[in-house]
Amino acid sequence: MISLIKNEWLKIFKRSGTYVMIGILVLIVSIAGAFMKYQDTRGSVPDNEDWKKGLEMQNASYQKELEEMGDMLPVDVKESYERTIAINDYRIENNLSPNQDYSSLSFIADMSSLIDFVGLFMIIIAGGIVASEFTWGTIKLLLIRPIKREKILVSKYITMLLFGGSLLLLLFVFSGLLGVLLFGTGGQSSPYLNYQDGTVTEQSMLFHLMKVYGLSSINMIMLATMAFMISAAFRSSSLAIGLSIFLMFVGGQVTQLVAMKYEWAKFSLFANTDLFQYFEGTPMLPGMTLGFSIIMLIIYFLLFQAVAFLMFKKRDVAA
Amino acid sequence: MKAVVNIEDVSKIIKGRKIIDSLSFQVNEGEVFGFLGPNGAGKTTTIRMIVGLIGITSGDIKILGSSIQSDFEKAIKHVGAIVENPEMYKFMSGYQNLLHFARMSEGITKEKIAETVEFVGLTDRIHDKVKTYSLGMRQRLGLAQCLLHDPKVLILDEPTNGLDPAGIREIRDHVRKLAREKGMAVIVSSHLLSEMEMMCDRVGIIQNGKLIDIQSVNDFVQEEGRLYEIEVDAPAQAEQAMKRLYPGQSIAINNQSIVVTIEKENVPFLVKELVHDGLNIFSIQETTRTLEDRFLEVTSGKEGK
Repeated sequence: MISLIKNEWLKIFKRSGTYVMIGILVLIVSIAGAFMKYQDTRGSVPDNEDWKKGLEMQNASYQKELEEMGDMLPVDVKESYERTIAINDYRIENNLSPNQDYSSLSFIADMSSLIDFVGLFMIIIAGGIVASEFTWGTIKLLLIRPIKREKILVSKYITMLLFGGSLLLLLFVFSGLLGVLLFGTGGQSSPYLNYQDGTVTEQSMLFHLMKVYGLSSINMIMLATMAFMISAAFRSSSLAIGLSIFLMFVGGQVTQLVAMKYEWAKFSLFANTDLFQYFEGTPMLPGMTLGFSIIMLIIYFLLFQAVAFLMFKKRDVAA
Repeated sequence: MKAVVNIEDVSKIIKGRKIIDSLSFQVNEGEVFGFLGPNGAGKTTTIRMIVGLIGITSGDIKILGSSIQSDFEKAIKHVGAIVENPEMYKFMSGYQNLLHFARMSEGITKEKIAETVEFVGLTDRIHDKVKTYSLGMRQRLGLAQCLLHDPKVLILDEPTNGLDPAGIREIRDHVRKLAREKGMAVIVSSHLLSEMEMMCDRVGIIQNGKLIDIQSVNDFVQEEGRLYEIEVDAPAQAEQAMKRLYPGQSIAINNQSIVVTIEKENVPFLVKELVHDGLNIFSIQETTRTLEDRFLEVTSGKEGK
């Protein structure tokens, strides 16, 4: 099994496309780091003792907008205003300036939005890892070895997960190193302010990062598994990659639209991939709980795997 | 002789159409078996079934006693194959490709890989990327790939497709050598008759998914007597003489010649008789009946029925 994974790993890293992906990731983090470093003030709040006044002004304008527009505002805009107001109030009360030393941990937190990129690259690998063998014609040589087809597919799936994990690790370590280099380790790192159900709580930054990386990985793994299934079942890498990326971008929105009218939207994959809704903000539909989402995700996961394995095992290789 | 591959009453139905119809044959140790048929007759389908790439609708295929369906790993362990073109990972070097496939079988040493590379004559270029290889070199790499694990059965699907005469000759020599020296059972498919004639011991002819004939190449080509072409000034008169001498024999007239099948010992007698009849003989030539003649004879004959 280990030699199979080694084979797959080598096949990924013998292609130049892989290095382009890693290069893009490193480049974006570097550029973002440079911007952060040379941009003096971050945000609309003055960088001095007047920060409290700044926050109060921001609150007042948001409050006004909330009152004037009322229900005209889209749900998510309204929510983000309320969230900002609550967090600002908390800062003023507890004397927590937003202009505290920007540390490497904060940089990692800011860079964690790039996890979506890692997801994108993971989908590209997952979509190609089986289908490419068909395109290259090498599947014929691969499947006439004394190894069961299931085992080959498992090795490919594991390799794909390992690749995604490595990219995440790269993102974390590289943004951490760059953060230390540019912003220092920061004496006492500022806490992360979490807003949920109208209350603000303080969380350690490290815990917050773990949460972001952990929850995002689940989203990534689900989409990559879907791409993997399409790749294995339909032998088309472009279909697998295209469809998965498309759904990655619009799946959430479409589900949200459907959710406004129909309650069954909660059974959609995309209503459940974003587990942040149970830790920050509010769930998409009433009645959805963390347990419900986890069960839905497990069902989808098993479904994807079952389709991939059955189709791959039964398929006549005639290409 | 020991049968290594057993094809037992195999049929394949795709979308209600019978692609392969109750095929049965066996291939023995140290034998080169040619699988001959026009395009679309089912050669490649059969080969894919032997190596387990496509399923079998009914019947079974056994390799050294293990079924390819129920005991896949044990059966395929003894098989090395190139199915259609020898497609390799183009972005890797030839050596990396071989390492890749070596990792998928048990107990293949670095020495074995080097030895195989030497055997197919790729030592100089093995560390170059496969995308820089010519078709002939790819074919050689493909052969190396299927010899790594010392298979008992070698299956080559259209191995000489697209190769130049030197490449064809090379593959032919390798195949014969492997069968003779290592006792491998070799299955070669082709629609090229001349190639089969030089490479194979036995030939099975397949048409419309049915095996219509299996014969050893020698029997196949020279079934009865030898063929002589005699150039004379009056073919019609010569025909008359032939009919008198060998009634019931088939005689063909070809321009200024007659073509007859007789034993070698009878040639001088025939010449005397013809000269006695006042015919002028310009030349006598022994012509070998080619596989092609037989092939067309067999396939058109069966189709007519």
